[in-house]
Amino acid sequence: MRLKHMIAIIGVCYGIMAVLPIFVGDIRFVMNIMIMCLIWAVVASCWDLMMGFAGIFSFGQVAFFVMGAYCSGILAIEHSVPPVLAILMAGLFTAVMGVLVGLPCLKLAGPYIALVTFGVHMALQPVLRGKIGIAIGSGGSVGLLTIPPVSIFGYSFSSANIVPTFYLTLLLSLSCVLVIMFTIKSYWGVAFLALKDSQDFAMSLGISAFKYKLMVFALTSFLTGIIGAYYGHFYGVLSYRMLDLDLFSILMVMMLVGGLGHFPGSVFGAFLVVAGSELMAPLGAYRAVTMGALVVILVLALPNGMMGLFIGWRKRLSAG
Amino acid sequence: MLTLTNVTKKFGELVAVNDLSFKVEDGQIFGIAGPNGAGKSTVYNLITGFYPYEGRIEFNGRDLSGMPPYKIAKAGIARTFQIPQIFPSLTVEKSISVGSRFGSRDGLDEDHVAEIIRFVELSEEKNQKTGHLNLLGKKKLMIGAALATKPRMLMLDEPMAGSNANEIKALMDLIRRINGEMGLTIIIIEHFMKVLTELTEKLLIIESGAMICCDLPEVATSDKRVIESYIGDAYVER
Repeated sequence: MRLKHMIAIIGVCYGIMAVLPIFVGDIRFVMNIMIMCLIWAVVASCWDLMMGFAGIFSFGQVAFFVMGAYCSGILAIEHSVPPVLAILMAGLFTAVMGVLVGLPCLKLAGPYIALVTFGVHMALQPVLRGKIGIAIGSGGSVGLLTIPPVSIFGYSFSSANIVPTFYLTLLLSLSCVLVIMFTIKSYWGVAFLALKDSQDFAMSLGISAFKYKLMVFALTSFLTGIIGAYYGHFYGVLSYRMLDLDLFSILMVMMLVGGLGHFPGSVFGAFLVVAGSELMAPLGAYRAVTMGALVVILVLALPNGMMGLFIGWRKRLSAG
Repeated sequence: MLTLTNVTKKFGELVAVNDLSFKVEDGQIFGIAGPNGAGKSTVYNLITGFYPYEGRIEFNGRDLSGMPPYKIAKAGIARTFQIPQIFPSLTVEKSISVGSRFGSRDGLDEDHVAEIIRFVELSEEKNQKTGHLNLLGKKKLMIGAALATKPRMLMLDEPMAGSNANEIKALMDLIRRINGEMGLTIIIIEHFMKVLTELTEKLLIIESGAMICCDLPEVATSDKRVIESYIGDAYVER
């Protein structure tokens, strides 16, 4: 997809989001959902960059999100680090963790990378709950309960000031998504795609698989860590339960609905799935079943997700 | 230009390349032939850094041991693959520019990319995704991307495989032009002996990873050991 089309879709999605508080700014529940849309859009986009563009089947994105959230929360609670600085430090921490996880993955192929990264995801929960977690301040099975909100020049961005907090989230989410977009359209993105399509040929043309694969691990885990840290400061509480499979699977649904490898489909997918999931809340226990059935139908009908539908329309329009 | 000295590669118990030594001169078209499984493609993989090896490989006096493929590309060695490798996510133009952007020491040179696209006769297809190309187009694309790295030596791995007579003629013309107009040294692995005898100035025949013969094509193809182990009597009678 061309850069101008990506900019247009992101502009429309975030533009609509930006004007919605005029109408629903005083409905806290809706504002919360919109903030979640913005947060998950970043995580889903990072995952799409990793899987859809770089072709690395990493299942560690939720783990990096939780690592970022816990790292920033612990720094803020235990070491009184100002939240903004703690968020940045959490981003750097998760980037380092991403590189450490990425290193063994360089020697592995598709399904084995999925196993290693999912292993990191699975191992994180007992670490946070157990003695190691308690020693570093994770709060064990209780979790973190008193994470301070982000504060800039004395102004506190918390759920008490939901509209300004929403716009801060929008700014952060948009910045992260734009970083991903420009990465995809840069020569980094070309290197990722070339390595995904044919690693040997790409290497024989001068692309270092080592360098670019580590780059994608570092970049996606950094951005995921940043947004995870922000999530912790917004909610004020964190639990190891985030590592249950619910969040993991819903993120995957966001990518599939948007269209894997069809950025910015993941942004659109995140908005649609978060909003759809909340709209289906009255279904109670049947929500997950309904959601699953809808995903199956959608994937069968639109294998390239909503973005595939958009691309098809555009092609038909240009063909006259 | 390229010198292999006592190069050996083992995969466990299997000796894929056995104490192989040969030399390719500057500007030469050098052929490599041998039965399936003789170790021809393995030799390419050793030269281009895909596998570690015992022995010594030098390119223009520079030792290539331990160099990863991307550094060898930057050192001036480009290659193609037996099974056409393409980037289906990218257009023809973008695919060729990958070689220029990443493999050339000068970085992305758009004029050179445009020139290469014309040279390999893919101008009409330049905005198409590479998946839409036919077999000849895919082979030309691989060669084009390799040429975009501004190499000093081009290594072609069975470029004629699966091609019909017209495609073989087109590819032979292209190889001659690369050697003649660009002045590149070319190494070519091929099973079509006619192609090798027409194109190459020197022919290396290997079997079970070891050299049987390395000589002028007409000498190599009449060598008794080569006839016995590879080309057979039928070829000689013809």
